[in-house]
Amino acid sequence: MSQSLRPYLTAVRYSLQAALNLTNFSSQVVERHNRPEVEVPNTSAELLLQPMNVSRNEHEQVLIEPSVNSVRVSIKVKQADEIEQILVHKFTRFLEQRAESFYVLRRVPIEGFSISFLITNKHTETMNTEKLVDFIIDFMEEVDKEISEMKLFLNARARFVAEAYLGEFVY
Amino acid sequence: MLHLKPENLLVQKTLTEAWNANESGTPLTLDRVISDFDYTTLHLSNSPENKAVLWLSIKTKAWQSVLKCGEGFLEHLESKYSAFPGIAPVGPEQGYDYTLTVDLGQLQPDAIVQLSLLKIHVMSFAFQLAFHEFSKLSQQTQDPASFSGSNDTGIVRQLQYRDDENIFVKPSNDRITVIFETFFQDETDKVFGKVFLQEFVDARKRNRSIQSAPQVLFSHEPPLEAASLMSARKADKNRRFITFVLFPRHFQTPELQFSTVCHLVLFRNYFHYHIKCSKAFMHSRMRYRVDSFIKVLNRAKLDETDDGEQTRRTITGRKLVY
Amino acid sequence: MSYLNNPAIVMDNGTGLTKLGFAGNDSPSWVFPTAIATAQRSTTKSSGSGASTSSAQSASNPYFGNSTSATSFNSLASATLMSNNLAGKRGTEDLDFYIGNEALTAAQGPSYSLSYPIRHGQVENWDHMERFWENSIFKYLRTEPEDHFFLLTEPPLNPPENREQVAEIFFEGFNCAGLYIAVQAVLALAASWTSSKVVDRSLTGTVIDSGDGVTHVIPVAEGYVVGSAIKNIPIAGRDITLFIQSLLRERGEEDTTLRTAERIKQEYCYVCSDIVKEFNKFDRDPQKFAQFIVENSEKTKRKVIDVGYERFLAPEIFFNPEIASSDFLIPLPTVVDQTIQACPIDVRKGLYNNIVLSGGSTMFKDFGRRLQRDLKSIVNNRIALSESLSGTRSTGVDVQVISHRRQRNAVWFGGSLLAQTAEFKSYCHTKQDYDEIGPEIVRNFSLFNMV
Repeated sequence: MSQSLRPYLTAVRYSLQAALNLTNFSSQVVERHNRPEVEVPNTSAELLLQPMNVSRNEHEQVLIEPSVNSVRVSIKVKQADEIEQILVHKFTRFLEQRAESFYVLRRVPIEGFSISFLITNKHTETMNTEKLVDFIIDFMEEVDKEISEMKLFLNARARFVAEAYLGEFVY
Repeated sequence: MLHLKPENLLVQKTLTEAWNANESGTPLTLDRVISDFDYTTLHLSNSPENKAVLWLSIKTKAWQSVLKCGEGFLEHLESKYSAFPGIAPVGPEQGYDYTLTVDLGQLQPDAIVQLSLLKIHVMSFAFQLAFHEFSKLSQQTQDPASFSGSNDTGIVRQLQYRDDENIFVKPSNDRITVIFETFFQDETDKVFGKVFLQEFVDARKRNRSIQSAPQVLFSHEPPLEAASLMSARKADKNRRFITFVLFPRHFQTPELQFSTVCHLVLFRNYFHYHIKCSKAFMHSRMRYRVDSFIKVLNRAKLDETDDGEQTRRTITGRKLVY
Repeated sequence: MSYLNNPAIVMDNGTGLTKLGFAGNDSPSWVFPTAIATAQRSTTKSSGSGASTSSAQSASNPYFGNSTSATSFNSLASATLMSNNLAGKRGTEDLDFYIGNEALTAAQGPSYSLSYPIRHGQVENWDHMERFWENSIFKYLRTEPEDHFFLLTEPPLNPPENREQVAEIFFEGFNCAGLYIAVQAVLALAASWTSSKVVDRSLTGTVIDSGDGVTHVIPVAEGYVVGSAIKNIPIAGRDITLFIQSLLRERGEEDTTLRTAERIKQEYCYVCSDIVKEFNKFDRDPQKFAQFIVENSEKTKRKVIDVGYERFLAPEIFFNPEIASSDFLIPLPTVVDQTIQACPIDVRKGLYNNIVLSGGSTMFKDFGRRLQRDLKSIVNNRIALSESLSGTRSTGVDVQVISHRRQRNAVWFGGSLLAQTAEFKSYCHTKQDYDEIGPEIVRNFSLFNMV
């Protein structure tokens, strides 16, 4: 792990731990509704907390938007070039397609980010908060690794395919 | 499967079945459509009079442009099959470009293979002309009397084998240049394709054992050889050009010529096939990742059996549900 | 847009067999087992050191004719990249596999393992299925998926998530021009339109689909499957084969392999109208007994197998299951009747009127006639009972079982019929639609109703 990644992830971990302090909260607008307050247009400012932006550099950022009963975590995955861009896009889409098995995954990311999670008080009640944070951190680490591995694979495969093709012309 | 084979398996299988059935005295009634790469459709049917005679028709996108390449195209195709008894061209069937009659009674196993190569034979005509022209040009160069200049070149032949893509073949006195125009409709393919094409260019430089393969060049602009034919169409920045430079050693003998042509004709299919294979591989990687992420996430779930106060069990261990 | 002239591709991936072909043909171009043989190494990925396994693999591997580049690639890959758990997947193993009959052959060797990606009609292993499709398209059908429309089939009650997965593979993986996913039972109904008995081309009817593993009775009302009424019968082709085999063994025939039993089933079996009469007929007329000759592959040895009562007894297990099975005892006609009775009352007449057979195990001679007779008597008894109870006259129910020549590959043939029509392409989901909306477009079931 590189020098700056560790502090970056630590910062995200602590910020998340602080933000994941959720409580059941009935909607003030609609009777008998219980909505994730970060997701709805909100008139009462006291329900939303200050969003936090943890940023390693301009390509790698995490936006944490806490509220009284829900936290939205958006991750921008590093995309150095065109290939990584398309791979990140494919990968996040693949995950979002299977969002129901991820419970906390949002089907659509927030504008400007690669992937978003929405954690509500229901999730923190049924899941271990500490482990949920572990999951997000693990996810951030693995995604970078996966993207670069896929890119390596693509290059290796392309090389292999090209050599195999041209090899057919060697007599 | 690493390489795509030049012969059409389905044509082979169908003809073999028809042949076996004919041998055993019960000729099949056939009316089959078979496809091949690049908008090629083959049609295998009984001839109207005789069940033991089949018609094999081909319709391919490249036909018109191959026809324009030069004289003697039909003779070229005919020559491919003249060695086999029972195969003869007839007037093309309605809706198809070319039709061969195949007499099952006289069919030989070798002929079945040749028939399954029909599409390759159609495409090979343009290359064949280039090979001829090359030998003419190279002789001129060797003969000082008629030597006119260093860059004696032949005419460029265009094979319009897909809607947006063309092959250009150009012989000159010491080489034959084959240019593929590539065009991607899909964003992902475009990016993947770029990686692949770049590797085609670099492969020869990096790997010593394939030094003798044709030189490969890659450009965004139409190469000069093809530029004259391209000018009519507007430049599109999605268009890329990949050039294979064939040296005489790649087409010295008819066998080499044939295998070179097979590989060149299948270049686009090979390359797209592998883009798809890589995508399939990535899909399986991503499925694996999804599973491993879900495992991590499930670790976060509170174990329900921990709170013994709330769930009561029967004596057999089943949960009581209220 | 010249792909509009290319024939559409019809693929029917069943549990046992896959049928592939082009729309407009009268039979599938390829029929082979839905089996894939993958290189063993991917399953035992952590075993052995990278360099030795890769060289062994490329030596044993018939694909890599050009060994120089293959080995140089593999050793490079294994040297630098064998660091994590996915590394075993990193080489080119994903290209090293066979499907269909070749898979069965390859799996006999030590380096491949066989698996069946479809279980009970539904795709179980998507990785294998994707590669299975890839090879079917490029090797067997020789088509560029970008230029063709595809018609795929799905079992009834397939979850929409599975359709989405299929769309994801076909549009994102293969960039196919267009995709239509049809329910197998509906295609089987469409295939019956070729029969002369069918007067109106409606999509209402009961489909009896009997393949190798299981027999389904599926009611379809106006193109929609009545999911709650579907019934399964655990008796199908394989059970018949096993039954014949057990009879052959009891008699102590010379050759009692499964293959022989299967050929006897295909060539000699038929459905009789009454077993007792048929037994008598056999006893009176020894001509009825057939002989089946098994030759080994070199045609040097011949074994003569007598074929006796199993000619009519074997298919009889559909109508009298107790002769072969001890746990399932309801005869097929009764199951069909129960199925139709479980449907909404306003479609029942249509369902009785159009009972369509599909699949290889319905191919026995007179299968349809026997089913029709038995079912008719059940229905008539019920009508008589209700007439005597209520004292009113019934208008009667017409029971009709339709068998036709395309029964064996009815699902595929129905697909071929639908996909060759001009309207087919307008019902397909296209690549453009997919790119705009995403995989959920295939949740919408656009019903094909050609007249």
